[in-house]
Amino acid sequence: MKKYILNSFVAAAILFTAACKPEIETPAGTTAGQANFSKYIAVGNSLTSGFADGGLYLEGQKVAYPNLIAAKMASVGGGAFTSPFFTDAQANGSGYISLTALVNGTPTLTPVLGNGWRDAPTNSRLFKYSGEVQNLGIPGMRVDLSFDPTLTFSAANPYFERLLTDAQVGKTNYFQFIQGRNHTFFSLWLGNNDVLGYATNGAVTVTGDPTTVLTDKVTFSSLYSNLLNALTAGGQKGIVATIPDVTAVPYFNTVTPAALLNAAKAINPAAAAIYIQTGTGAVRAATSEDLIRLPFQSAGLFGTGAIPYGLHPLNPIANNWVLDKDEVIKVKDYVNSYNSSIKSLATSKGLAIADTYTYFNQVKTGINLQGVGINAAFITGGAFSLDGIHLTPRGNAVIANVFIDAINAKYGSTIPTIDITQYRAVKFPDK
Amino acid sequence: MKKILLSVLLSAPLWVLGQGFQVNLQGQKQIGMAGAGSALALDEASVFYNPGAVTFLEKNSVSAGVNPLLFKSAFKQSGSNVTEDVKNKIAPPFEFYAVWGPKSNKWKLGLGVYTPFGGLVDWGDNWSGKYALTSLNLKAIYFQPTLSIKITDRIGIGAGFVYNHGDVNLQRALPVNYPDGRSGHVTLDGTGTGYGWNAGLYIKTLSNISFAIVHKSKVITKLDGGTAEFDVPNSLRSSFPAGNTFNAELPLPATTSLGVGIPLSKSTVLAFDASWVQWHIYKDLAFDYATNTSALADTKSARNYRDGSSFKLGINHQASEKLALRAGVGYAFSPVQDGYVTPEAPDADRYILSAGLGYTPTSHFEVNASFFFEDVKSRKQKNIETGLDGTFKTLVYAPGISLTYKW
Repeated sequence: MKKYILNSFVAAAILFTAACKPEIETPAGTTAGQANFSKYIAVGNSLTSGFADGGLYLEGQKVAYPNLIAAKMASVGGGAFTSPFFTDAQANGSGYISLTALVNGTPTLTPVLGNGWRDAPTNSRLFKYSGEVQNLGIPGMRVDLSFDPTLTFSAANPYFERLLTDAQVGKTNYFQFIQGRNHTFFSLWLGNNDVLGYATNGAVTVTGDPTTVLTDKVTFSSLYSNLLNALTAGGQKGIVATIPDVTAVPYFNTVTPAALLNAAKAINPAAAAIYIQTGTGAVRAATSEDLIRLPFQSAGLFGTGAIPYGLHPLNPIANNWVLDKDEVIKVKDYVNSYNSSIKSLATSKGLAIADTYTYFNQVKTGINLQGVGINAAFITGGAFSLDGIHLTPRGNAVIANVFIDAINAKYGSTIPTIDITQYRAVKFPDK
Repeated sequence: MKKILLSVLLSAPLWVLGQGFQVNLQGQKQIGMAGAGSALALDEASVFYNPGAVTFLEKNSVSAGVNPLLFKSAFKQSGSNVTEDVKNKIAPPFEFYAVWGPKSNKWKLGLGVYTPFGGLVDWGDNWSGKYALTSLNLKAIYFQPTLSIKITDRIGIGAGFVYNHGDVNLQRALPVNYPDGRSGHVTLDGTGTGYGWNAGLYIKTLSNISFAIVHKSKVITKLDGGTAEFDVPNSLRSSFPAGNTFNAELPLPATTSLGVGIPLSKSTVLAFDASWVQWHIYKDLAFDYATNTSALADTKSARNYRDGSSFKLGINHQASEKLALRAGVGYAFSPVQDGYVTPEAPDADRYILSAGLGYTPTSHFEVNASFFFEDVKSRKQKNIETGLDGTFKTLVYAPGISLTYKW
C-alpha cells in the first residue's frame, strides 16, 4: 500500500514534469502600428531583386530581402507578395558563378550557365514574366535611369525588358513602371548604381554607356524627390534605405596592392612596387589607399608581357581597374551627398530610414550576430556573395532585419525579426 | 536566541550564490528540504552535506538514489515571435553513500559517490542559437572517501578527499555551408580528472540547536587530449584538420556553507543553509587545440562568473514512526553576469520549491522520495561574445527516490 503511494507519487511527478513548459511572453503583442502592410511593393535595383553571385537566379530571388520582410509582415496584416521568379526549369536564370575549389585560400570561380534566356545562345533576352509583381527590383536600375527620357533603357536592360509586355518595351521607363500599383506600403533602396556603375568601371565613364555615369548630386536629389512623391501620392507609408559606401564591399578590398606585391615577390623577390595609372593619366606606385577591382585577380593580366604588367611604370595597371585614392574620395563624397538627400527627403515625408550605409560600415569592421561572425571579407565574410558586391542569403536576412527594425521603430509595428541562422553564406565545395 | 541567529545569517553580506552548472541533488531527505540540512545528522548523505555530522549517525548504512532531472529551457530571440525549447532529455544525477564505524566508537568512515555539477541541454541542430551551441552534456562524478570524528559528544569534524571524473561533450554548428546549404558542425568530447576535498564542522548546542560550517574545495578539472571533430566541407578540411585534439580546463568552484538546525518539537526540525559558491574562478572557457591553422586558433571565451549564493530553508516532520514528511523553499543568486549568459547555462536567479517523504517499514530498510522544482527567472540578454540576443526562461523538475539499508 505504502509502496503504491510512493509509485503514484513518482508517476504523478513525471507526468507533471512533462506537461509544464516554460513560457516567454512577447510584451508588444502583434500590431501593424500606424502602417498598413496589406500590399507591400519593393522598389530598387539588383539588391532588391535578389541578384547574387554575379547573376539573377531563382535561389537568390527567393531570399531577396523584400521577400524575407514580406514573409514576416504576414503576421501583422501583410498580404501576398509576388515576385518575378524564374520557373524551376529556368532556375539558373541569367547564370551565375560558383565556388568550385579553394586551394590554400585561392578560390576557383566557375560560371554556371543560365537557362533563363529565351534567345539562347545569344543570351540577351530573358524569359518573360507576366502577371502581378510586387518585388520591382531591377538589376542595374539607377535613380537617373528611372527617368530615362529616351525610354530605351526598358529595352536595353534584359531584367527590365523581361517584366514588360511587348507593347511596353522601349515605350516606358522605371518611374512609370512602378506607379499605379495600389500599394499600401513601399520600400525604396535605389541609387547605389548611380555611383557604383562609375566606381566598378574604375571611375571611367564610357561614352554612350549611361550605366557608367556618375549622377549629378542635385539631379539625384531632385529625381529621388520625384520618386518619393509618386510612392507617397496616396499617403502611403514606407521605408527608404541609404546607399552603402562602395568601398565597404569586398569588390574593392580583396585585391590589394600589398597582396599583389606579395604574390609578385613570391616569384621575383626583386619586385618593389605595383604601378597603376590614375584617373588623371599619371603613373605611380600604388598605395594601400588605391583600390583594385576584384575581377583583376582572374583577368590574367598581372605580371604578363615583356614588361611585366603592373610591375613596371612602363606597363601599369590600367585606369579602369583601379579606383585610385582621389577617385575614392570623389566617390565617397557623392555617396555622402546622395545619403544626405535621401535622409532629408525621407524625414520630410515622415518615412522610416534603413541606414544601410552605417550598417555596412559596421560589417566592414566585423559584427557578431546570433553566434555568427559577419564581416566584409570575400568568400569567408558571410555577408557578400561571390561577386563581392551583392549579398548572400545570410546577408539578405541581416539587411532585412535592419529594415524591419527601422520600420518597427518608426511606425510602432511589431514585424517579427528574421532568424538569420536559417540562411546560408557562400557554399563551400565538398570535394 | 533562534531569531537572532537567523537574522545574523541573513544579514551576512549578500553572498552571490550561484548555480551555473551546480546540481543541488545529493540526498533525498535534504532535497525534500530544498537542499538544506548541513546542520542535521540526518543520514549517510551527510558525507556530502557535512562530513562533520557523519560520526553522529546512529547506524551504519548504505544508500543509493537517483533524481531524473528535466531541464526545460526556452529561448525567444529578441524581436522574434518564435519560442524555441530544448529537447526533453533526462539527466540522471545520482548518489551513493556508505557509512560504517564500530558502534559506540568516536569515528566513522564514509564513502560518497555523487554528481555535484553537470548540465544536459540539447537545443537541437537547427535552432536560432545553433552557432553558439547546439548541445552540452557535462557530468562531474565525485568520489569522496571520508573520515568523521567526534571531538566531544556535541562536536564532530570530518573531512574527505575528492576525486572527480568529468565528461564533457560540447557541440555547435559552424557558420560555413555545404553545397546543399547545411552548416558545418563541431563536436568537442573529452574526459578529465580533478582533485579536491570536503570538510565540515558540526556542533550541537545544549539547546539542541545545531550548527554547521562546511567547505567543499574547488576542483580544477583538466581535460587532456579530448577529440575535436570538425564536420566541414572538404575544401575547408586543411583549415580544420581531421583527428585534432584539444586540452581544456573546467574549474568547478568551492562552496562554503553555514547551516543551522532548529528542533521545533520532538518530531519536527527546521534546517537553514546559506551557501557561498566561489564561481569567480570560472573566468573563461578555453580550448587549446593540438593543431592550429589560420582558421582554427585556440579559443578563449570569457565567462567572468562572479560568486553565487543560495539560501535554503527546509522542514522535516516525523508524522509517525514510519512516515516522514518534508518541504523546503530556497532562493539562489546566479553567478552569471549580464552579457555572459550562454545557451549552455541559461542561468538567472531562481526560486526553489521542494517536497519529500520518507517511509521506514522496518528498522533496516528505508525509502525516501523527493520532488525538486526550480523556477529560473526569465532573463533577456545579449551575449557579448557571440551576439546571441534573446530571452531565456527555464524550469527544472527533478523527482527522486532512494533506498537505504541500515544496520
